This record gives sequence, structure tokens and C-alpha cells, in this order.
Amino acid sequence: MRQLAWRVFARWEALLVVLILIVGYWSTTKSPVFLTRVNLLDLMTPYIYIGLLAFGLTFVVVAGEIDISICSTMAVSAVVFAEIWQQGTNVWVAALLGLAVAALLGLVNGLLIGVLDLPSLAVTLGTLAAYRGLAYVILGGESRSNFPSDFTDIGGGYRLLGGDLPNALLVLFGFALVLGLLLHVTRFGRYLFAIGSNREAAQFSGIPVRRTRVTIFALSGLMAGFAGIVYLGYFGSVQADAAAGSELIDVVTAVVLGGVDIFGGSGSILGVLLALVLVTELRNGMQLDGVSGATQDLVIGVLLLAAILVGNGVRAARGRQAPWRPVLLSRKGVVQVNGVPAAAKSDSDQGG
Amino acid sequence: MSAHGRPLIELRGITKIYGGVQALTDVGLVIEAGTVHALVGENGAGKSTLVKILTGVVQADEGDVRIDGRLVHIGDPQTAHRLGIIAMYQEPTVFPDLTVSENVFAGRHPRTALRTVDWRTMRRETQRILAEFDVDLGPDTPVRGLGVADRQLLEIAKALSSSARLLIMDEPTAALSPHEVDNLFATVGRLRERGVAIVFISHRLEEAEAIADVVTVLRDGRHVATSSTAELPQAEIVRLMVGRSLDALFPKEEAEIGDVVFEAKALGRRGVFSDVSFELRRGEIVGLAGFVGSGRTEVARAIFGIDSLDAGELLIDGRPFRPRSPRAALRRGLAYLPEDRLQQGLVQPMSVSKNVSMAVLQRLTPGGVLRPRRERRLAQGFVDQLKIKASSVAQVVKSLSGGNQQKVVLAKWLAAEPRILILDEPTHGVDVGTKADVHRTISHLATQGLTILLISSELPEVLGMSDRVLVMREGRLVAELSRAEATQERVVRVAAGVEAA
Amino acid sequence: MIRRSQTMTAESIAVAAFRLREIGIVIALVGAIIFFSVRATNFLTVDNWQDIATNVALVGVVAVGETMVVLTRNIDLSVGSIVGLSAYVAANTLVDHPDTPIVLIALLAMGVGLACGLFNGLLVAVGRVPAIIATLATLAIYRGLAFEATGGGGDNISAFQLPDNFLDLAARKPLGIPMLAWIALVVAVAGAAVLRWAPWGRDFYAIGSNPDASRLAGIRVGRRVVAAFAICGALAGLGGFMYAARFASVDAVSGRGLELDVVTAVVIGGVNVFGGSGTVLGAVLGALLVATIQDGFTLLKISEFWKIFFNGAAIVAAVTIDALLKERLQSMLRRRRRAEVLATKEQVAEA
Repeated sequence: MRQLAWRVFARWEALLVVLILIVGYWSTTKSPVFLTRVNLLDLMTPYIYIGLLAFGLTFVVVAGEIDISICSTMAVSAVVFAEIWQQGTNVWVAALLGLAVAALLGLVNGLLIGVLDLPSLAVTLGTLAAYRGLAYVILGGESRSNFPSDFTDIGGGYRLLGGDLPNALLVLFGFALVLGLLLHVTRFGRYLFAIGSNREAAQFSGIPVRRTRVTIFALSGLMAGFAGIVYLGYFGSVQADAAAGSELIDVVTAVVLGGVDIFGGSGSILGVLLALVLVTELRNGMQLDGVSGATQDLVIGVLLLAAILVGNGVRAARGRQAPWRPVLLSRKGVVQVNGVPAAAKSDSDQGG
Repeated sequence: MSAHGRPLIELRGITKIYGGVQALTDVGLVIEAGTVHALVGENGAGKSTLVKILTGVVQADEGDVRIDGRLVHIGDPQTAHRLGIIAMYQEPTVFPDLTVSENVFAGRHPRTALRTVDWRTMRRETQRILAEFDVDLGPDTPVRGLGVADRQLLEIAKALSSSARLLIMDEPTAALSPHEVDNLFATVGRLRERGVAIVFISHRLEEAEAIADVVTVLRDGRHVATSSTAELPQAEIVRLMVGRSLDALFPKEEAEIGDVVFEAKALGRRGVFSDVSFELRRGEIVGLAGFVGSGRTEVARAIFGIDSLDAGELLIDGRPFRPRSPRAALRRGLAYLPEDRLQQGLVQPMSVSKNVSMAVLQRLTPGGVLRPRRERRLAQGFVDQLKIKASSVAQVVKSLSGGNQQKVVLAKWLAAEPRILILDEPTHGVDVGTKADVHRTISHLATQGLTILLISSELPEVLGMSDRVLVMREGRLVAELSRAEATQERVVRVAAGVEAA
Repeated sequence: MIRRSQTMTAESIAVAAFRLREIGIVIALVGAIIFFSVRATNFLTVDNWQDIATNVALVGVVAVGETMVVLTRNIDLSVGSIVGLSAYVAANTLVDHPDTPIVLIALLAMGVGLACGLFNGLLVAVGRVPAIIATLATLAIYRGLAFEATGGGGDNISAFQLPDNFLDLAARKPLGIPMLAWIALVVAVAGAAVLRWAPWGRDFYAIGSNPDASRLAGIRVGRRVVAAFAICGALAGLGGFMYAARFASVDAVSGRGLELDVVTAVVIGGVNVFGGSGTVLGAVLGALLVATIQDGFTLLKISEFWKIFFNGAAIVAAVTIDALLKERLQSMLRRRRRAEVLATKEQVAEA
């Protein structure tokens, strides 16, 4: 049985690996530059911050929620950092404050969703806009740059392997390791899977559901803060519209494509990491092919849809209807009408 | 056209098996148009399964259903609806954001010549239907502001206007005041005059007696009797509901009963139960009986910290206990095995070992790190002890049989090493073999000093296992019977209010 | 006569609270107008209000469509991209065929939007992709299409390329009201009419209020949802047409971010994010309120960045209020009701 379970678990990741190889092959045909060590190592550097955002989002989605405000949170965090540093504060202190702000913004989400029990989609849709606005209020239309190289080295420096290995890549793998352990090896992670699968049963089992739900949003906020640091390091500058573009869809695609069930209850950091590699590789390949940014976004959008449709198709084939759950606009929990089992009632939280 | 007396719906040989348990066996039923047909029986007698079959939620394994003499296949709720079979539950299904008339005509709006919504006709028709029942509801009243009683009337109006032929009412009076019950009965009377068949499910025998023409009694999934209400007095109904021999199926061991470990004083939760007081002693198994809606599960949930208590206090070992959350309850040695094992007891996609360890993760994870091997060992221990049939502790619980699933839930709570264990319908929908296993376990636990509060609708179980039986009715604790005093009939009579405790 | 139960008191407060929503917006609107007319010099001029009207027109038209989608308990975030795509198609066609009747151009734009909306609807209703994800993806897809259409971002259409009669559209002000505002008015009235008089329009409310009961009642939920998205797309297409007329220059990023303005208008306007309630009137009032405040901010030289923040904060506030009203009040009322019932039973028992 264990072997079977492992086979099932590994299957999605294996598929991703296969896709990575296929896209890699395609990229090589587009340009011989692709397979060079320099290019491969540097492949992911522009997208590391997206990876960190995706890791943070993974925790939220596994627990059965969603957070689309992460990009805005990152912007505020980076902007706050920049302004504080600008005032003359030590760059590391400023960075710490930036992280604190990020976590705080996430906490606000967490309180609205975890304590007041508001639907996560609607709330984070609002905070997506509100936080973005906050970033604009703080920084206006200006931009900040010229940060100390010690700091920017995190996201943009190249230290090892004779200057070929980007530091950011180490940051990514470091977080992947830590967060992977957090999600899969700790009690906290187990809580998330339980809550995402069956919130009620988790509560009945004495799991601190409310506290956990608040925490995951604070965590995704914090990850947005770290993403901001990497972003600043790589781009060297920040404006209030940081990550206001295609980043959100890249993050969501990385999570969904990574095998994280959008309805909650399953997923892995490894999968998200592989999906990130795939998305990055795809963008890189398209870049080499001269495909424009907007068209790249189109392809990623199609990829996102494909990932969900395939997931739904597999679910339908197995005989389970796609459950309409809290990712969507309303959270109704378990609907029990006397005598009518909830399953038969096709719990629809989404019209359609 | 009043079709009183002609069979509208005929069920023959209906058999349904749920995961190894015979929910219905060879049940036959004839429902005539223009009659009120009461369907009575204990919880688990098969009433709701029958309703589910009629409304297309589940399909019978054997047997057939005929309407107007024609064989029909009710494959899904929409089909049932189209055939004119409409069910009303305690929680009326309404569109809370729409008005009364829109609720009545949802999806079937009367049209004008231009094919637009004919509001005037809609309002007028709604007014007419409501007037027929002498109901004082305006067609433009927003439904959100209506209480349960009015929503029920609304559902009836809706059913009527969509030419319902069979209206099934499942415990409709549970949330109504006596005055509203009168209203409802008057309405039902009018429905009857219109030729609609009504199946009225209720455990309030006095109501069934008052409103119904015919009574059918189900017991343990079988049809026991059908007769006109006039010929079947309440006492006789009770006898038929429980009339079974009490086999010595339950090897209850004698346990030494010690001091009081748990006291409940005047517990209350607004709108649900009030003034509930009882004690539990070490080594005791106390049964809590009562019909659905009597408040037993609600009391348990409040004690366990899932719902809040509005009044009363709790004492464990003489020290006050405030049940703020299941976590807090667990810490004081309480455990609660919930009524709905699939929705509340298990995380289905997870393995046996992960489910078993779920309530004790704190203990199993020093430093917050999971120890899968420890979890597996813990789970394996219970698999052996409770004889859980699974290919391994890694098997996903979703694929286990109902009985084994229940054992997993039990294992989860036993793993928490509770001192007071509340079991809510622990052998519901479980095969005989598992039942016996569970009972043996419970009995044994009591001898080890555990205190057990057994909420159950299965009378033989309650009577066989309990040292004392508490009976609840309509949110109050109405009786406490000793093991000697408690007979099936006595318990049901008290629970139904046929006899004062 | 059987008197109905005494459910007046607490329940009717809830009901009133709900209706107050639209009245509340009007009050806020009046308040804003008073505030700005006192503080800003040019606020109450005809010029300024024609400006506001034109701004509202654009957002309003799209908001009408978005309302229908939100009523069914879904959301469409791709409207901004649809506006951009259809604006470009419309403008480009005019450049290539300057003699085309304007009405046809408008229909073309709506056709493009309709196709986009249909795709959205199918993804949600048939593909069972959650609306938020689906429209997030199509936001990128349609924007990408617009980009490709502009030949990779290169082809920007500007005023001198467009025929005069088209540009006049935005300039004309019959009866002192900008033409675009008239169009929006017609759309709003039509939208309100559909939601009030068309049986399938009423179905939107039912679906958003209780999808399961809708299915049981025989409503073709899937079809209606597709229809809602299709209409939203078509109106976004019309919005694109109006965009091209108003700004007289269209490029690959036209309409970006519009979805936020639209959602803000709809949410502030009392269209409940849970579906089932809300009106076109509310959405339009919401758009008006937002446009007025933004205009006032501009006149007061308040940083326009506060506008963006205000949008977001308004959404959060509206969502919070809606959610609290819808769920909490209901369960609270129900508990109180049951307590009354139980109390009555006790009285009867003791009697």
C-alpha cells in the first residue's frame, strides 16, 4: 500500500519533471545558449521572488483558502523598506521592518478571514487593492534604488561557482527546504492538510483551527516580505507598482501546476518548486524565441487553465465531482439538511 | 379532482443496504392521494432512507416504485421534483434573497404575452395560494425576514403551486410553537382536500394521531404495521415501534462504579436546550436517549466546546470547567465521538494512522516534528485492539467500510486517553459484528474506570449497555431511569411525551 | 384568518438594513457632493460634471455586466482585458475601413467581448474552474491576444487615424449630457429591465441565492451562468468601443486595471459578493460615487494614489459588511426565534 501511495504521490511530480525536460529540449532548439551552465544556473533568477510568493501561497491553499493580495503585500513591504532606508536607517533594520510590515498585512487578512470568518477570496480581493493603494500612498510615482550592495547581493549577487551561481537560487532552495519541512514534517503542516480536507473534523479533533488559519495568512504575508527582499536585490530598485503585472498569475500557476489542490487538502512544496522551474523555463524559452511579454502571459494563462481542467478531468474520471469549496466566493461549510446527506446535495458554493 | 382513496404511490419490496448494514428490508408502502400518512419509527428505523429513495437522493437496491400504477425510476432529485414528489425538512429550502412570490415561482415565472415576467399575475397567484391556506403573508415580503414557520408555509405554497402530488414532511413541527403547529395542521388539511398525498414523519405521536389518517410503523428497516389512526392508539404504536426481544447481545461487564467525576448543572443554550442537569460517576455507562431534535447531540457539543453554553456550569472532579473549545475539553480529559463520522469524525483522504493520531498530535510530536513511526505504532495498536479491518495503517479511511471507519474514529478518541468519553450514535450504520466489538470495548473501558455517556437512538443498545438512562425531550431532561426501570417502551413513551416521566 | 407568526421585530430590522444599502449610497453620494462643492472651486460646474458623467459611463457599462456575473455568485476579472481587446479591434477596423457605420463597429466590439465572455462562462460552468482562477487566466490570455493583435505592441492607434464621425461620438453632448453617458444610460436601463423582467434574468438571483434549490426548481444553472458571463463580456466589448471613442488612442495596455474600478463600483453598489442580491441601480450608483470621489480628489489636488487605496479599502469594508449582514444576522435571528418557540412551549407545558 505504501508503494502505491508513493506512486500516486510521485506521479504528478514525475509528470512535471517530464514536462521540464520536454520544454528544455524545445528551448535548446530555439537557442544553443540554453544548455550552457551559465544560462541554466541563471535561469530562475528573475523569478525567485515569484517562487517565494508561491511557497507562501501554497500554505494558504493547502489549508483550503486563497490569498491574492500577496503581490500587493510584497510591494508595500518593499516600498516601506525603501522609504525607511531612505531616511537613513541601517539597511538591515529597514529590511526587518519591511518584513514586519509584510507579516502584519498578512495578519490583517488572517484576522478578517480566520476570526471574523469572512470568505478569503473576497477579503484578499479587497486587500489586493487596498495594499496596492497603500504602496502608492507611501511612494507615489517615484522609485527608489541605490541600495547597499550587501543587501542587494541577496537577490542579485553571484557568489559561488566562480560567480555563476546566483545567491537567490540558494535562497530559493533554502526556503524550499525549510518550508518543505514545515509543511510535510511538522505538526503545523499536518494541521493544514487536515483543515484543508475537512475543517469540521479538524476542529472536532482539537486542532486549533482558528489560530492556524490566522497564522497561514501571516505566513504568506511574511513570505511576501522575503520575496520583496529578493525582488529588490535582483531589480535593484522598487516602485509602487512592483509585481502589479503578470506576477500574480505566475504565482497561482506555479501553485496549481505544482499539484496543490485548489480546493485544499493536498499539495507539496516540491511540486510547487518543480512547477516554478517549469514556468521559468517556459518563459525563458519564449524569451529566447522572441515572444513578447504579453504573449508569454497568455501562454501561462492557458497553462493555468489546462492544469485545473486536467485536475478536474482526473477527478471526474475517478467519480468525484469537483467540490465547490472555500476558494471561491462563499464559505458555507458543511450543509446538512435533515436526512439529506451533504454529498448528495452537491455542496455548491459557486453558482454554476 | 379529489382522488381520495386511490393509491398514488406504491412501494414494493424496497431493500437498501448501506455499507453492510440493512437499512431497509422488503418494505412495502401504499400512499393514497388526499390522505395524510404518518410514518413513525425510532431513529434508524429506516424512515429517512425511505424518504431519500422517494426523493431520488439514493436508489433502492431492490424493489420498485409505482406512481399511478406506472413503474418509475427516480434517479435524481430533479426527477423526483418533476414527478411531483417534494420533501420538506426542518430547514426549509428557500431563496433567502428573494421575495415570497419569487420563492414560490422560482424558475417557473408566469409570463406575459411579451414573454416577460408577469409580476402582477405572480403576485396575484401567490396571494391566492396563500389565501387558500388563510396565511397572512404578503407576496412581496422578503423571505430573509421570515422565521422557520413561515418558511415552511412558503415551501408548502411552492409545492402546491407546482402541482406537487406527494409532500413529504420530515419532522416539520420541531421548531414551531403550538400556535404555529395549529396553523400548519390547518394548512395540511387543506392540502388533503386538494388531493395531495402527505407523508408526515414525526416522533410526536400525539401530533401524528391528530393529523394523520393512516399510520405506518417501521422498525429496524422493516415494515411492521399500517393501519388507520383511529384503530391504533399511541400506546400500541409505541409497542410496535420497539417490539423486539432484547437478545443478550451485549456482554456488559460489571464495572465498579466510583465517585462522581462529572457534573452538569442547569446547562442551557438558547433555543436548543435548557436546565439540563446530571452527574456521571467513574466506571458508569450512562445512556442518553431521546428522539432527533431532543437536544442530546447539542448538549454533547456544548459540553465538548464546539457550541457555546448560555447558562449553567460544568464540574470535572469537582473543579469548574469552562468548555471553550474541543482543545480545552480534551485537556480536561473529555472526548466526544461525533454523530456524523464522515463529516465530523474523519478526514477521509487521510490514512488510518493519520486519523488515529489526529487528536493527540501534541503528544506525538515533540518539538513540533511529526513522528510517522510513532503514529503508525499507535494506530497499529488500535487496529489490533479493536480488530479494524484494513490492509495496513496506511490505507486511506475513505475506502474502509462503515464499521471499520467507526472503529477508526473510536480509536482516535481512545488514543487521547480520556476519562470521560461521550459517544454519539457509535454504532449507527454499522454491521452487527462491529456493533458487538464496539459494545465489548465500551463495556471493558468502563471496567477500567472510564466514564461513558452513551447517546444512542438504538434502544437495545442503550438498555443493554447503560447503568442509568437519561431521557431528553424538546430540549429538556425529562427522566432518569435506573437500569431496572428502563424498558424500551418506557423510554419511548417518555421520549415521545406519551407518559409523564 | 390564520394570522401569521409574529416575526416582525428583529427580522424586519434586518430587512430594512438591507434596503438601506442603496439609500446609504445615495446619502454618501449627496454627502460627497456637498463636501466637494464646498471645498473645491470647480466641482459644481457643468464641465466637471460632464467629465464625471463620461468617466462613469465607461465604468458603468462594464459594471452592469459585472453585476450579472456577481449575482450568480461568480466574478469576472478579465473585463479590463476584454475592454482592451475589443477597443483595439474596433479602432483598428475603423482605421482600415473608415467608412464603416459606427453602429457596426460597436457591434463588432460587442461581438469580440461576447466571444470572450462565452469562453469565460464555459470554463466556469462546464470546466468547473473556479471563476476567480478562470478569469485571472483569461485576463492574461485576452491581454495577450490584444497584444498580438497590435502586432506585438507596436501598433498604437491614435486620434488622427480615426475618422471624425467616430471621434465626434465622444464629443457630442445632446441636451448637455455626453453621448457616452447616454449610451451608458441606455445600457443601464436595459440591464435593469433584463434583471427585472426577463425570466432568465431573475434566474441569476435564484442561482446566487441558493444554487442547489435552483437546480431542484428546474433552472438550467449552467446555461444561465454562461449567459451571465457572455453578457458581461459583450458589455465589456461595448465598453471597449466607448473607450476607443473617448480616449481616441488605443494600444496594447488599454483598459488595464479597469476591472478593479468595476468591481469596486459593483461591490460598493450593494451587489453582494455572495450573489443573490443587488441591482443595476446600485452598481451604477456605486460607479457614480466612486467617480465623484475620484473627481473630487483630483480637484482638491489630493494625491491620486489615495484613490487607489480608497478603492481597495472600500471593497474590504463592503465585503465585511455584506458578509456580516448576510450570515451573522440570520443565525442570530434564528436562535432568538427558537428561544422564543421553546419559551412558549415551556409556558404551555407549565400551564
